[in-house]
Parts: sequence; structure tokens; C-alpha cells
Amino acid sequence: MEDRRPDQSRRSFLTRAAGAGALAAIGDALAQDKPAAAPAAPAGTIGNDAIKREKHAAMQYHSERPLTGSVPAHEHDFDVTPNDRMFVRNNLLNPDIDAAQHRLTVKGLVDKELSFSLDELKKAFPAVTLRGMLECAGAGRTNYLPAASGTPWSQTGGMGCPAWTGVRLAGLLKAAGLKSGAAHVAGQGGDPGMIATAAPVIRSVPLAKAMEENTLIAWDMNGAPLPKVHGYPLRLVVPGWVGSASTKWVTTLHVLDAPFKGAYMTSSYVMPKWPVEPGQKMPPDAVSTEAWPVKSMITFPAPNSRVKGSGRITVRGRAWVGEGSIDRVEISVDEGVTWQRARLASRGDRYAWRTFTFDYQPQRFGYMTFVARAWDDRGNAQPMVSAWNPLGYFWNGVHRVGVLVEA
Amino acid sequence: MRLDKLLVLVFLGIFSPAGTPQDQDKLISGPGSTLTENKCKICHELQHIRRTPLSRGEWADNLKNMKERGTPMDDAEIAIILDYLAAYYGRDPAPPPSPDTLAAGGADPMQKLLNAHACTGCHTLAQRVVGPSFREIAAKYSSDATAPQRLAARIRAGGQGVWGQVPMPPNPGLSDADLKRLTGWVLEQK
Repeated sequence: MEDRRPDQSRRSFLTRAAGAGALAAIGDALAQDKPAAAPAAPAGTIGNDAIKREKHAAMQYHSERPLTGSVPAHEHDFDVTPNDRMFVRNNLLNPDIDAAQHRLTVKGLVDKELSFSLDELKKAFPAVTLRGMLECAGAGRTNYLPAASGTPWSQTGGMGCPAWTGVRLAGLLKAAGLKSGAAHVAGQGGDPGMIATAAPVIRSVPLAKAMEENTLIAWDMNGAPLPKVHGYPLRLVVPGWVGSASTKWVTTLHVLDAPFKGAYMTSSYVMPKWPVEPGQKMPPDAVSTEAWPVKSMITFPAPNSRVKGSGRITVRGRAWVGEGSIDRVEISVDEGVTWQRARLASRGDRYAWRTFTFDYQPQRFGYMTFVARAWDDRGNAQPMVSAWNPLGYFWNGVHRVGVLVEA
Repeated sequence: MRLDKLLVLVFLGIFSPAGTPQDQDKLISGPGSTLTENKCKICHELQHIRRTPLSRGEWADNLKNMKERGTPMDDAEIAIILDYLAAYYGRDPAPPPSPDTLAAGGADPMQKLLNAHACTGCHTLAQRVVGPSFREIAAKYSSDATAPQRLAARIRAGGQGVWGQVPMPPNPGLSDADLKRLTGWVLEQK
């Protein structure tokens, strides 16, 4: 093979040596002059083991440094995503923050700089609870061909819809007083990097989105304090937009006259303004990713389930769109030749996903597929294949699940 | 292995309790590979490089991004790393084999096994040909304790519909031992 791991012989040597005498293996390893293995959790951070202990067994992890993982679609069959099934995508290390010491500062183009402890924030503004989508910009990336660079999220990995409790970001901004020229708001996270030179994670959103009534500074997730991996004690929640807008462990809100300029704004989370030929590099006119396009997934049945041909099967799934609303969801049982409407649950919170169901009486035995396609209220539908882009963002192609119909 | 010996290995970081031995996280050996490993491993695993071949332009963008994110590397180092990544993890043309890999070449028992059972007629390491690449398969079955059993059953019985509608033939002639080796190797190709 052109890319066989170069350490195969060494590994088999280690295996042999472990039986004959472990010291020989140790000497061999030391002779390789490796950089020391990273400590499990540097001071002020928590390790992956502690995070995973609070997560569901169905979580599939893609990488340890940084930690990324999510559950597959059929483990996502909930109207409200439970905390232990919410996807994990850290850019840097996971901080271990003392909530009593934590402060959130509002600064920049404001009349007066404000700073809140968690308790002060809870007292200063009315609390609201709402369900809202958070979805990594790269969710579904592995569907792109040729492969795009980044976390290898499966088609249905990297998103969830929990209930968030917090205060409206608009309330803080109004209290601080916006100066003329204020046009963007950036959240800065308190997550540290491996080295001192690591740039802080800072993403900005336009003022209109920051002032939108569903944009929150949240402290609870599904009625409990945010898990440490999801931003404890405070995070931004910018529902419907790329997950990176929802800064975790938020320490500072910068009110700016232009989008923040930094790696997480200009080199990551950007797309070509116009689609490029697959395999091309990012063109100079790249734009920051914002609201997710219309998308859906089938959460029941699980792929390759066995179903009885004698009874009806109720297909179930979730549909959502970053701005606007879901108009309808259609199901095809003939690979997209014809489409039938699924039943759509009534609309709940503005940025929550909506459950759809579709009753189907199998027409024959054997393998068959259900394909789901959602439409939004602006006439956009999920495509068969999303437009390729160098960083593999915004995959929203139709979701297809196969089952075996048996007697 | 006796428990006390295992603990010594864990202590020295040779085996990480999390699962992946640190010393298995390597790149293809070639000019610039050590520098690339040392810079990239500061913050992330090397699988982030291995799993996606990119064009030279995309690697250049990637390095610019990593520099902006704080990686301590100067322009001369970036030039070496870019040449290395473009050569060994390039999208087009296909990356050349490393000298080390060539040396292991024809006598590689796993390559022989793949050839003997015609696996390579439909599968390659990194590209989807008729069937999925071994990397795609490994990624699909990653982090799943039942993966070895499920993948072995799939190789043994063949199948259709998981990746597409072209059926994979069954492999009744594969010995149990070879099936186990093959399954283990495929799952390592992440």
C-alpha cells in the first residue's frame, strides 16, 4: 500500500518484547526520541475521560485532540436533545472554570463597560428558556467528494436541539448602551490552548443577529447547569447559525464596528462566495458562514433495520433551517423519483427542529430505502448533493436510510 | 502481558490508557516528516492530516490558518512542511510512496492477503473505486466496540446497500485467522 503506517514492524516488536521482557520494549521506545505524551489534563482544564463519563455510550468520537464526537441519526430520535447526546466539538482545551469566580464583560463600542458574575447576570435580566438548534458548520462533511479538510462528521453527526435557559444578549447590549457605529458583536471563549501563542477562540455575528430575541447568554441546558464540555458556566447560544457562533465559556463580548478579524473568522468557518470546482482551494472572496440551510434527518428506523412486511412502519425524523421555517418534509421510497408528504408536528420555538412522521405500508419484500427532503418557507429544498467547498461546510443533502423488509 | 509490565508501559506513555498508543500517531516517513509531526502534534492528532489528502493550495491555506491560530513556526519551516504535505498527503497527483514504504513493499503479508482475495480489485486505501476505501470503512466503524465482529461478518458474507448498490461477493475461502487479520488491518486505516 502506498501509505502503510511506518511503525508496523516496531509494533510487532513491541508485542513480542512485552512477553519476553518489557524493559527491552521500553528501551526501544525511549530510543525513538519521541516528544513526551501530552499530560491527560493540564492545570485548569478537564480531560477527555471526565467528559466522556457524562456522555452516552452511543457517542462516536472522531478525535481526542481536540475532542470531537456525536451520536448517529438513529440515536437522535428526540424532540429535545439530551445533554449526554449533544455533540462535542472543542477547538482548544476544555477549561475547568469556577463559576463563582467567572465574569462576563461587555466592552468595545458601548457607553459603559459592564461586568457580571453569574449571579449578577441572573438577577439583572429576565430568564428565558427556549429550544434551539446548534450545528457545527462541518456537520455532514464526510459526504463531500473529494474529501474536505476537517472533523469527519458523518451526514447526521455534529448537531442537536437542546433547551437553553439564559438571558437575551440584547438585554446586556442595551444595558451597556450601543455607540453609533456598533455593527458586530464578538464572543470570546475562556478555553486555553496547548501553548501560550494559541489564538483565543473569537467569533463575531452581525448586530441584528446579536439583538435577535432568541440569541442568549445561557447557563442551563435542559434544566441543569451547562455541562463543562458545553460551556459551563456561561455560553452564547446563537441558534440556527453555525455552532462556532455560540461561543462556549464566554468571558468577553466585544462590540465592534466590523466583523472580528482573526483565524476563526477569516481562515476557518468561511466559504467561497460562489461555488468552486471540487478540489480547488479557497478563493479570495470567501465569506463567513452564518445560518444553516434547510436540512433534515431520519431518526427512525435505524439504517439496515429489519421490518415486518405485514405491518405499517412509521418513519420518523427531524427537520430544521437556520433562518425562516420548515414548510414541508417529503419522503421518497423510490430513490427520489416520486415524493410524498410527511406529517409535520406543529411549530414550536423559532429555531427548534421539528419532528416529522410518515406512515408506510411496504409494497414488497427485500431491501428498500426512505429518502427525506425538507423545504423551507422561502422555496429552498435539500439538494441531492450540496455544493462542494474547500472546508466542507453546510452539507445539507437529502438523508437516505435503507431497511430490509421481511416476512 | 502481566499487569505490572503493562503499568510500566502506561506510566512511560508508551501505551495511553485512552486507547491509541502515542507512538502510533505518525506520518509517512519522508523529507520534512519529523518537523511536520513535531509542529502539528502540539495541538492535535496527526490523523487530522492522514485522513484527508489535499491539494498544495489547500495545504497552504491550512498552514496559514494554523499559523494564525498560534502554531510557532517561521516561514522557512512552513515552506518545508508545505512541500512535505503536498508531496505525501497530496490530492493530485497521487502521493508517491515513501522510501520506507517501498522497502517494506512486495513482501508485505497484508498486501499479499489483499491481493490473494481480490480485495484490491474494488478497494484502495484512500479512494473510492467500486467499493469504499479502506479509510472510509475504518472511519465508519470507528469508536465502536462491536466493529471487528460486524466488519468480519460483512467481509465473510458480502453484502449490498451499506455503501451502494454494487454487491460485494462473499469470501467463504478466507480462513478465520486471515479474516481476523484483515479486519484488524482495515479498522486501523483511519
